[in-house]
Amino acid sequence: MARRGSPARLVVALSVAAVLAVFLLYTSIAGGGTPVVRPSQLDGHHGRVSLMGQVVGKPSGDAHAGGKRFRLRDVKGTTTVTVVYKGTVPDLFQPGRDIVVDGRLRNGVFVAVPNTLVTKCPSKYAPKR
Amino acid sequence: MADLGRLSLVTCLLLLIYAVAGGSFAAWKRKRRLAQSAQNALIASFGVTIIAAVVLMSALARHDFSFQYVADHTSRELPLRYSLTAFWGGQEGSLLLWLLVLCGYAAAAVLTTRRVARDLLAWTVPVLAFVGTFFAFMLVFVSSPFATQRALADGAGLTPSLQNPYMAIHPPMLYLGYVGLTVPFAFAMGALLSRRTDERWIVATRRWTLAAWAFLGVGQLLGAHWAYVEIGWGGFYAWDPVENAALMPWLAATAYLHSVMIQEKRGMLRVWNMVLVTLAFCLSIFGTFLTRSGVVQSIHSFSQSPLGGWFLGFICILVAGSILLIVARLPLLRSKTRLESLVSREATFLYNNLLLVALALTILWGVVYPILSEAVTGQAATVSKPYYNFFLHTFGVPLLLLMGIGPLVAWRRASLRALGRTFLWPLGAAVVAGIALLAAGAGSSRIGVIAYTFSVFVLASIVLEFVRGTVARRALGGVGWAGAFSSLIARNRRRYGGYVVHASVVLLAIGVTGASAYETVRESRLKPGQSMSVAGDRLVFRGYQARTESNHRAIRALVDVYRGDKYLGRYRPGKNQYFAEDEVSNEVAIRHDPLTGGDLFMIADQVNTNGSIDLKVLQKPLVNLLWLAGLVFVGGSLIALWPDAREERRLAARYADAAVRI
Repeated sequence: MARRGSPARLVVALSVAAVLAVFLLYTSIAGGGTPVVRPSQLDGHHGRVSLMGQVVGKPSGDAHAGGKRFRLRDVKGTTTVTVVYKGTVPDLFQPGRDIVVDGRLRNGVFVAVPNTLVTKCPSKYAPKR
Repeated sequence: MADLGRLSLVTCLLLLIYAVAGGSFAAWKRKRRLAQSAQNALIASFGVTIIAAVVLMSALARHDFSFQYVADHTSRELPLRYSLTAFWGGQEGSLLLWLLVLCGYAAAAVLTTRRVARDLLAWTVPVLAFVGTFFAFMLVFVSSPFATQRALADGAGLTPSLQNPYMAIHPPMLYLGYVGLTVPFAFAMGALLSRRTDERWIVATRRWTLAAWAFLGVGQLLGAHWAYVEIGWGGFYAWDPVENAALMPWLAATAYLHSVMIQEKRGMLRVWNMVLVTLAFCLSIFGTFLTRSGVVQSIHSFSQSPLGGWFLGFICILVAGSILLIVARLPLLRSKTRLESLVSREATFLYNNLLLVALALTILWGVVYPILSEAVTGQAATVSKPYYNFFLHTFGVPLLLLMGIGPLVAWRRASLRALGRTFLWPLGAAVVAGIALLAAGAGSSRIGVIAYTFSVFVLASIVLEFVRGTVARRALGGVGWAGAFSSLIARNRRRYGGYVVHASVVLLAIGVTGASAYETVRESRLKPGQSMSVAGDRLVFRGYQARTESNHRAIRALVDVYRGDKYLGRYRPGKNQYFAEDEVSNEVAIRHDPLTGGDLFMIADQVNTNGSIDLKVLQKPLVNLLWLAGLVFVGGSLIALWPDAREERRLAARYADAAVRI
């Protein structure tokens, strides 16, 4: 005798389909994620990106007035780019720290989106020896 | 002392290897004495891990900088309490805590079940020991907390954000949750290996699962509160990969806790439960992989470490082994009954399960998206808050609604007429609440109105359940209202404890919605004497005050808060400059309003040399309900966990019945 289809299977199948539909809808409306790039990879990216690198040199300016200016270097490299940032500066921000900040390249300067600067915690976990 | 620590860990590793090998052989060949010996080895491993933990704790307390770990994570000026909590402030100590908790859980699980479920335990012991062996191996060969060096004059100190009382409780709670999920996983695998796939493994691990799930939930709420009061950005959850790492297994465990009820009541979803318990455990190990490997960008920044590859390999073994075992035992996992109607208690539990798992998997997708996008396109990309919020709303809001529907629907099959009667009052309350919210101007956030209306519906259905139960209990006679109420809970601890937990989730939803959808943010640069206004409150900056403590210099802005002409008090947001660590930390000031449950959150965003301040102020309505939810959650969990002699007798009968059927 043929086995009768279980409502449970139907529910699971419909739910999985619904989840996939929602997911596809989201990705088609909102697009993919924000690319994460290093300073050496900025050329060719004209849209919004997450820039990741190490702060080098002494920052200048006022993050709550004209903007804080600092240079960001590839964590493992030598290419640098100037960043202008406005908004809250995390406590841990200082030369030598790795940071991630959103924004876009304009005339050779990376103009950051306000309040997107995230400083990587110097870590409870010791660096690799 | 370091030698004693190393020796303890090596002994632990050997004991656990013996428990894996001896236990497996004993289970395979049905050697009862050898199986007992393997159990004893597992219990003994807990003893030697305690010795290792005491050695490290003692070195931290004595500031023994000949221990590399102590020198890396403490300093002479670090207060003793933080020197001790540095035990889990670093990678090696965290792994040791993991092993300690795991061996503790394993010993307790063996001691409490060896008499009632000996046959079930036969394969469970090798699985528990196998997980323990991995961690002991890592501590002995890859990341030892007992590495020594020439003693330094002083240590590097502890990251300032970890110098917080929450450091004493938040990580241990999370570990108790993460590691606790090993117990149900081990029993599930033990049941599959021994072909004893009846409900006994679920019954035997119900409390362990509930305890691990409660610890994980409380641990996350404590972490959220820590971030709120200490990190100083005004939020409590940032969808950071490390935060998500704790949320994913909790969601999977929540789904599991609900679906096991269907297996217990109706004998359904047996494969699904195996999958869920495996998913919850693998996600907890995956969380550790995320935090240790540094493969994903996280504000918790875990530097690249050699542990990532080991953890990845371990996860692959666990996932492949579990899937193979479940597939091999599929014939034993056939359901005894079927879902009879899509409108029934078990169907709503199934919807709840699918939503919880969908939420966990979409979060997982967001976490691994940078890795996958880099592997496919060569360019890493991240998803951020809007992605997570979209799925939280898509899956979370229907979940909230189901929490109110599920408990009121009958098992097996419910008629629409009966549903209409059941939901009359909760629906009425929700409609009235929705209209009142719109009239009060809450319509500025559509998701806010929906979440609050659904919250009222769920709370009304919970209250209705308590009222109906109490009335029925009182009708039996002999007790007053209070007696009927307390006996109702005492006789159905799991059910009513669950309702209390549901109420805590509603409070959480109200708090999160208030603090995010209806938040007000203002920023202003103020000179002494100048003021700013936020949501009806006026804040006047009076100047700075500085003082020097043993390990830091503190600078505080003096801010007077007024509502109309009424003076509400002086608040002191500021910054601490730590000497040894050469770091600055934000110290926020919070004004709690007990009447509204809201907070006025003040951040000294920038202390300027000309004496002015950049003050950021957030008004967060109802945010304190989030912390109240934590207390209610603990209460509900304790009710559900509390030992119940009647239930123990029922379980004993079930054990006996299952053993006969085998």
